[in-house]
Amino acid sequence: MRKTVARFFTVADYEEEEIWLREQHKSGWKVMKVIPPCFYVFESCEPSDTVYRLDFKNARATEDYVQMARDFGWEHVADCLGWLFFRKPADGAAAEGEDELFSDNASRAEMAGKVVRTRLVPVMVIFLCCVIPNLLNAVRGSLGAMSGFFAAFFGVMFVAYVYLIVHCGLKLKRIREKNRG
Amino acid sequence: MDDRIKRIYVPMTESGFYILFCLKTPNHGYGVSRQVKSLTGGSVTIGAGTMYGTLSKMEQDGLIRFVSEEDKRKLYQITELGREVLDAECARIERLYRNSKGEKFDA
Repeated sequence: MRKTVARFFTVADYEEEEIWLREQHKSGWKVMKVIPPCFYVFESCEPSDTVYRLDFKNARATEDYVQMARDFGWEHVADCLGWLFFRKPADGAAAEGEDELFSDNASRAEMAGKVVRTRLVPVMVIFLCCVIPNLLNAVRGSLGAMSGFFAAFFGVMFVAYVYLIVHCGLKLKRIREKNRG
Repeated sequence: MDDRIKRIYVPMTESGFYILFCLKTPNHGYGVSRQVKSLTGGSVTIGAGTMYGTLSKMEQDGLIRFVSEEDKRKLYQITELGREVLDAECARIERLYRNSKGEKFDA
């Protein structure tokens, strides 16, 4: 049996995403595919405690990474927008310190930094160079008859971008600081 | 060794040191992690993500080089530059160790 669930996680919420996927697996649903921007295809399975981990490579998984992960006991589950999804059975892994993809603070902080550089910075550029100028033009009425519509549209975009930038910026900063040691 | 390499790798992380040290003989990621585990009696474990990231970065910076591929596993080995970095790290660690024992260290 299959189900598709829509659930949105920002680029800063990958730890929550891991927990959510683990809970799904515990209740008998294992993720098979992740479809941008926010759809998860699950297949029913024997409920079990399975650890999920995400890596951000800003690219698809390479064959040698998938093989290396497999050597370490990880099953490569899916790729989505530069994110790589892995899982492994939880039993014993935690005790051995093997339930993490990243074993030191430096590599955890580096991944968060990569998310900021390749995801958050472009969002900020779009915000500053597109959303704000268009909103100002629309409010001034310089976009013609449709100015009212555009003002509302870019107004909503403005709020969404501010929320996204503040939420992700603060959260990724916290993750990096936590791992600075 | 240029300044950029020095800034990034001296001092280096514990995982970085062990990975570079183990690649004195050609090995792949999982092989290195097993070797590190046995060398340190299990006190240092290196995860797959940390391993893959470190190997990619060290290859890019010329500290290690790709030797061959076996069953989709890439084998790497330390380069001249890698040895230079490793020697610098070993000297630094020896200084720390001797100083911690109350000895003076002359480079």
